[in-house]
Amino acid sequence: MPRLACLAVPLFPLAARLRSEPELRHEAVAVVEGQGGQARVAAASRRARQGGVRGGMTLPQARALLPGLVARGRDAEGERAAQEALLEVAERFSPRVEDGGEGSAWIDLGESPPPGRPGSDERALAAALAAAAERADLPARVGIAGNKLAARLAALAPGSPTVVAPGGDAAFLAPLPLARLVPDPALRERLARWGLAAIGDLAALPAAEVTARLGVAGTRLHRLARGLDEAPLVPREPPPELREGLELEWPLAALEPFLFIARAALDRLCRRLEGCGLGCTRLGLALRLEPEGHDERALDLPAPTREAKTLLTLVRLDLERRPPGGAVAAFALTAWPGTPRAAQLSLFGPPDLSPERLATTLARLFALLGPDRVGSPRPLDAHRPEGFALLPYAPPPPPPARIAAPPARGLLAVRALRPPLPLEVRVTPEGRPAELRPLESAETANRPRLEGRVRVASGPWQLEEGWWTDQPLAREYWDVELAGGALCRLHRDPTTGAWHADGIYD
Amino acid sequence: MSARSAALEQPPPAAGPAAGRGAGELLHALGPHPLAARLRTGADLARARREAPAPERRPTGLPALDRLLAGGLVPGELVEWVGRRSSGRWAALLALLAATTARGEGAVLVDAGDALEPRDAAAAGVDLARLLWARSATPREALAAAEIALAGGWPLVALDLGDGPLPGRTADEAAWQRLARAAEASGAALVVSSPRRVTGSAAAAVLRGERGGVRWLGPGTAPPLLGGLCGELALERGRPGERGREGARERLLLGVPEALPAPAGEGTEGARRVVAAAEGAAAEGAEGAAEGAAEGARRVVGRVVGTARAVAS
Repeated sequence: MPRLACLAVPLFPLAARLRSEPELRHEAVAVVEGQGGQARVAAASRRARQGGVRGGMTLPQARALLPGLVARGRDAEGERAAQEALLEVAERFSPRVEDGGEGSAWIDLGESPPPGRPGSDERALAAALAAAAERADLPARVGIAGNKLAARLAALAPGSPTVVAPGGDAAFLAPLPLARLVPDPALRERLARWGLAAIGDLAALPAAEVTARLGVAGTRLHRLARGLDEAPLVPREPPPELREGLELEWPLAALEPFLFIARAALDRLCRRLEGCGLGCTRLGLALRLEPEGHDERALDLPAPTREAKTLLTLVRLDLERRPPGGAVAAFALTAWPGTPRAAQLSLFGPPDLSPERLATTLARLFALLGPDRVGSPRPLDAHRPEGFALLPYAPPPPPPARIAAPPARGLLAVRALRPPLPLEVRVTPEGRPAELRPLESAETANRPRLEGRVRVASGPWQLEEGWWTDQPLAREYWDVELAGGALCRLHRDPTTGAWHADGIYD
Repeated sequence: MSARSAALEQPPPAAGPAAGRGAGELLHALGPHPLAARLRTGADLARARREAPAPERRPTGLPALDRLLAGGLVPGELVEWVGRRSSGRWAALLALLAATTARGEGAVLVDAGDALEPRDAAAAGVDLARLLWARSATPREALAAAEIALAGGWPLVALDLGDGPLPGRTADEAAWQRLARAAEASGAALVVSSPRRVTGSAAAAVLRGERGGVRWLGPGTAPPLLGGLCGELALERGRPGERGREGARERLLLGVPEALPAPAGEGTEGARRVVAAAEGAAAEGAEGAAEGAAEGARRVVGRVVGTARAVAS
């Protein structure tokens, strides 16, 4: 017999707001819809309800009852993120999850296993679901039943979690008030005039009589009342990215207060990534600006990470480098997930780098130096010696056993000068370099200084590359030993006659 | 307030049984206190140092450097290498990176001079896939990058401050001390390569490289080919237990073996090894006579040349 669980968060707009602003948890809070005097209370916290505030009241009415009431508008961004977080909690228990919207989700538990088999203790499963939602800062109730309606009503019943025994859906629904089944007030009134108060009263009527009076809608209602909900579970496609955000009560122009709030959103995002066993490979930041305008930016990460502190540093540096053009009224952080690098511990080989530490360190180096300055170097398939490619750092796993390093090859190495250092070179009548003088300029002020008489010069070594392109490269290379003992690599452009030093043998 | 904390807050009596006793004895007298339990006398410390197992040494791949550092780098310590231009400082740093990556471990090069030519590094034996190259724009940025890299778990972090003029104060002493402590905490060897002394007292050992001359290959006054560099390496400051080695010098030879002199102290030994290898290879050649005398002769020549190169390097 198929079984379904329903996760339902009561007063969802309030729960989403408290998830974004946990410091309001013990305050009298009301979430309102609408503007100004027309704003009506959509949901109120327990303390507010104890003060007499009810849903549907206008904000002035609520404030008259409870002057200290904290009022917040509905936060579409925060509710979307909270709903996603709820669905992610559900997906930890089953791959087939339907998005019920407004703080609810159905989970397909499959066929009910016989007693004694793993998964047969549905009450423990329901308690685990509720605990997982609580850890995601969502006070969800849980109901388990044979169909979607019964599971949802079980979740909303007092004393969550509620488990309806297999085959007991109709008996569970029978004593519940009809209002739970019929949301339409006009229809509800009509049924009340017939003398029906509970769902069981409707189920007891003959189906043909109900259909004759209420049409096709009546047939469906009657079947629902008898615990026959045929609506199938429609599994959702998980979105490719995770999103957290907040609509701010007032626009923030300064960086620090914004980062304070963004930190909380990043914490939530990282917890969600951790729950899915994923890391963030790209972080998007969308800002709605006041009075108008949008700012969107994306930060690429060198390796999947889920450390909020590192991500916050990246956001800070990016905002400092390119400040948004106005005060921030709302923001959304989007994490594109990726699978973190796995490491296999070795008994005999050298230890592998911890994937978490590696990702965090790389992200911090990215933040400090910039993404184009950190990576794994590779030579280019070209003749010019200074060229290189920078690949993302992803070292191969270490060998299974420790190996001794071979002795050094003892070769000469060149310390590259990037960009090449312009020089004034006096040459002999044969064209060999005889003396170097630096060309003084602001660009060369903090660069190595090469000057002096040339003791030995070896060359020229011709280099030609890209002659078939618009920007051909031709150089005459010389290895020169200066009188002071320094050994450097020069090149001369045969077309312009300009001399540069592009390396020092060291 | 407990009796113990009351005793701690009272001034020590001027006379009486406790007069003249050291602070450590007074704390010991107070009984089991967290601070008292951690106190050690000088004799305890000296004994602990004597009895501590010798730290692991990681060979650098350069025999000359290994001899000066009594076996190689010690994880968790900062070693500074100071050297003038063309003294072999950069090639030695690449050799260190090559030795580490050849063992299958990762390494970081924080390159303040943006000086790495990947082709050169690959030729020196560096496994580029295991090397993280961080190119910093300023020495200060390089210090910050090295501190971050030390937290990453790599066994070797090499910090090269380039060949250009360094600002008057690259970093204060406290910054280098912090970097040395970060290396100690992470267990990574930190090698700082700089044109002049910068780390102050933070370095466990300081090496100084000197130029020893350039070797050219070819006849006449216009040498056609750069053959190599001869450098000299001195231990300017030894580790605390190895101060007696200070002032020791070694030759550093870089380039093609044909252009370089035989390493000091290894000439006879090198020649003996060449002859032994030649004899061994000749024997193998004789055994392989059935496969053809030419093949045997080729193997003899190959072994002799290979061994000679290994000895020269």
